[in-house]
Amino acid sequence: MGPTMIGQGTEASLLVDIVFWVLAVSAIVSAFAVVQIRDLFRAALFLIMTLLSIAGMFILLRAEFLAAVQVLIYVGAISVLIIFAILMTGDVEEGSPSHSMRIPVAILSTLFGALAIFVSVSTDWNLLEPAIAAGQVSADAVEGVYSNTIPVIAKLLIRDFVLVFEIASVLLLAAVIGALALIREG
Amino acid sequence: MTTHDIYLLSPEISMAGLAILLILVDLVVSRKSILTIVAVLGLAVPLALSIVLWFDLTDQAATQMKADFGTEIVTFVVDKFSLFFKFLLVGATALVILASSEYVSKFKNFHGEFFALILFATSGMMLLASTVELITIYVSLELTALPIAALAAFMRDSRSSEAGLKFLILSAISSAVLLYGMVIIYGFTGTTVLADIATQLGGLLDGESAFGGNALLFGVILVIAGFGFKISSVPFQMWAPDVYEGSPTPVTAFLSVASKAAGFAVILRVFYIAFSAEILSVDWSAVFAVLAAVSMTFGNLVAIRQNNIKRMLGYSTIAHAGYLMVGLAAVASRTPDADAIIGPSGVLFYLSGYAITNLAAFSAVIAISNRINSDLIDSFAGMARRAPFLAGVLGFSMISLIGVPPTVGFMSKIYIFGAAVDTNLEWLAVTGMVNSVISAYYYLRVVKVMYLREPIDDAPVGSALPMKLAVMVTMAGTAFFGIYPTPLINLARSAVDVLVS
Amino acid sequence: MIELAHLQILSAGLFAIGTYGVLARRSAVLILMSIELMLNAVNINLVGYAAFVDFDEATRSFGQVLVIFVITIAAAELALAIAIILRLYRNRSTVNVDEIDLMKW
Repeated sequence: MGPTMIGQGTEASLLVDIVFWVLAVSAIVSAFAVVQIRDLFRAALFLIMTLLSIAGMFILLRAEFLAAVQVLIYVGAISVLIIFAILMTGDVEEGSPSHSMRIPVAILSTLFGALAIFVSVSTDWNLLEPAIAAGQVSADAVEGVYSNTIPVIAKLLIRDFVLVFEIASVLLLAAVIGALALIREG
Repeated sequence: MTTHDIYLLSPEISMAGLAILLILVDLVVSRKSILTIVAVLGLAVPLALSIVLWFDLTDQAATQMKADFGTEIVTFVVDKFSLFFKFLLVGATALVILASSEYVSKFKNFHGEFFALILFATSGMMLLASTVELITIYVSLELTALPIAALAAFMRDSRSSEAGLKFLILSAISSAVLLYGMVIIYGFTGTTVLADIATQLGGLLDGESAFGGNALLFGVILVIAGFGFKISSVPFQMWAPDVYEGSPTPVTAFLSVASKAAGFAVILRVFYIAFSAEILSVDWSAVFAVLAAVSMTFGNLVAIRQNNIKRMLGYSTIAHAGYLMVGLAAVASRTPDADAIIGPSGVLFYLSGYAITNLAAFSAVIAISNRINSDLIDSFAGMARRAPFLAGVLGFSMISLIGVPPTVGFMSKIYIFGAAVDTNLEWLAVTGMVNSVISAYYYLRVVKVMYLREPIDDAPVGSALPMKLAVMVTMAGTAFFGIYPTPLINLARSAVDVLVS
Repeated sequence: MIELAHLQILSAGLFAIGTYGVLARRSAVLILMSIELMLNAVNINLVGYAAFVDFDEATRSFGQVLVIFVITIAAAELALAIAIILRLYRNRSTVNVDEIDLMKW
């Protein structure tokens, strides 16, 4: 089997397509539910649904490590934090009313989305697929693209981007100090 | 990470280390005034290290020292441009800490944490001045934003918490927008290193559409929007007045000076390195010219109506973001024979002048309002009799903010509007001058209230020694560079050489 | 088959929904959730580019590295935001940004 794109040229391609569309629709619909539902607790559950769909999407795009990170940090930690916040501030009963400005805001964000889609679709991206078709990319390189990315990411994180890694650790420390100083009675 | 990399990073490392040290010192000392002394003396370390780096650069006759973490991907450089900002940021931080020495007694606890958060934010800003890669820029931006949000909420009352929440939410939104733009740029050029983006774009630009593709244009606009938030330019200014009013006053001073300086550092770096191609720079220069005109006009007109001095200074900072963007708009490619560094050196000179003047104004405001417990302009009535020295400094800094000689504000306005004229932006220079006249109305109102109105109360308003020190240093700077700006201008010009070479 | 355009449309859609949530809803917690939607939209775009665009060997995984930092920082940001929200709630017993009107939003 020669170099292939994701889900292309294999028997599994139809299955991949179906999974992709299911995940995409689920992500969009739950995201829409997050911003539309009045009950904050349900909104948080729909947020988890979106985040899980996106994690599935990452697996489909051969970014398995990111999928794991997404599930562990987003679904595992961030969502729990949000649910805690909802429960502690008693917002469950109050719900989350909308602004009076919601119609203009809806138009504005739709326009923004349409513009983003237009520029993305109308731009000539330097795609991998034609390069493969033209034989500019070797089979090994394509294999490299879709094989396990964890060693590559690990090397980038602790070598090329070690500075960013350190800055992120200082940032976490500063956030913890800030949160503690704000919340502790003293 | 080799020893050489650590040497290049030493100002930032020592800054973050000092922050941790202050928390530890806070645990063991009972007299909290020691913290101010430790913080201000400790700031000498990053300053000294930056000076060492500066002379090292001069000795080597090199323009740049790159930190290589064992790879070809350059994320961090030390050059005169970044060192200029490090001097400015360390100086501003020292003055903010001096000015807050008395103010912190309003917090029952966590004095060490207060200073530590300021220093963490400063270390992020210093990194911002030095980074040449988009991922590093994003993470450094967040390192400046998060501690500032915590600081804005530090008073723990509802106004302050609200200011912190607003700052955090709007900064998160602006980061998301910035990221969306960065991602498009990465997808289009295939790299996040600024210099490589420029190389890639050189091959991609076809001249048919601006920026060679719709997506790239869109990405650059989103990046401008994201950075526009950091420098509080219209239309991303809505957070500034509220956060300025609600935050503890030293945090407001820090925000208006240091945060803005770091924002301009990163904008200059991104646009002069990544998008420096001539046909691009004409386009983004036009965007900045329009934003500049709108920001200064909006800031000045709304500032007239304000009664709270912190809120007024919040709108004034929007106006000054506008004046500063005149320097961004003044790119050399607009005219064939322009001085290549006049625009960016104008930004640096104006920023340092603005920093000194605004810190003088804020130190005086902190000193006065801390004693009279009010931020309303009317409560400053007759302050010339109650606190002649502080009122004099506040009045002098207002004159410098208008841009009247003999102040640094005058010199920097002349320089930056001169840059606009040199690059065929006469209309922008005229708009700026008209705006300066408008601004005189509300700045002079403060002076009028202090000198001509009868005092509400006859009790004199004193101030503590660190406060006096901060006020005197900034006042002396405002006057000195107003009479003899040449050294500062030369410093700014040598700092920006690296951007255009 | 999946194309880059599909992912870009998905990402733009999520970003727009997030923008709507941020601007139209009043609960601070919900605004934070909408910001997470916006950041996830960015992440989808990043992973999509890594899978479909012809990058250099050396820079191909930059996008994935950025995703990791985005997630990390989102967590830190949220922790701090919730600390401030709890502080505000103790003072005011509300977290709806319209009712917090000491200063205009």
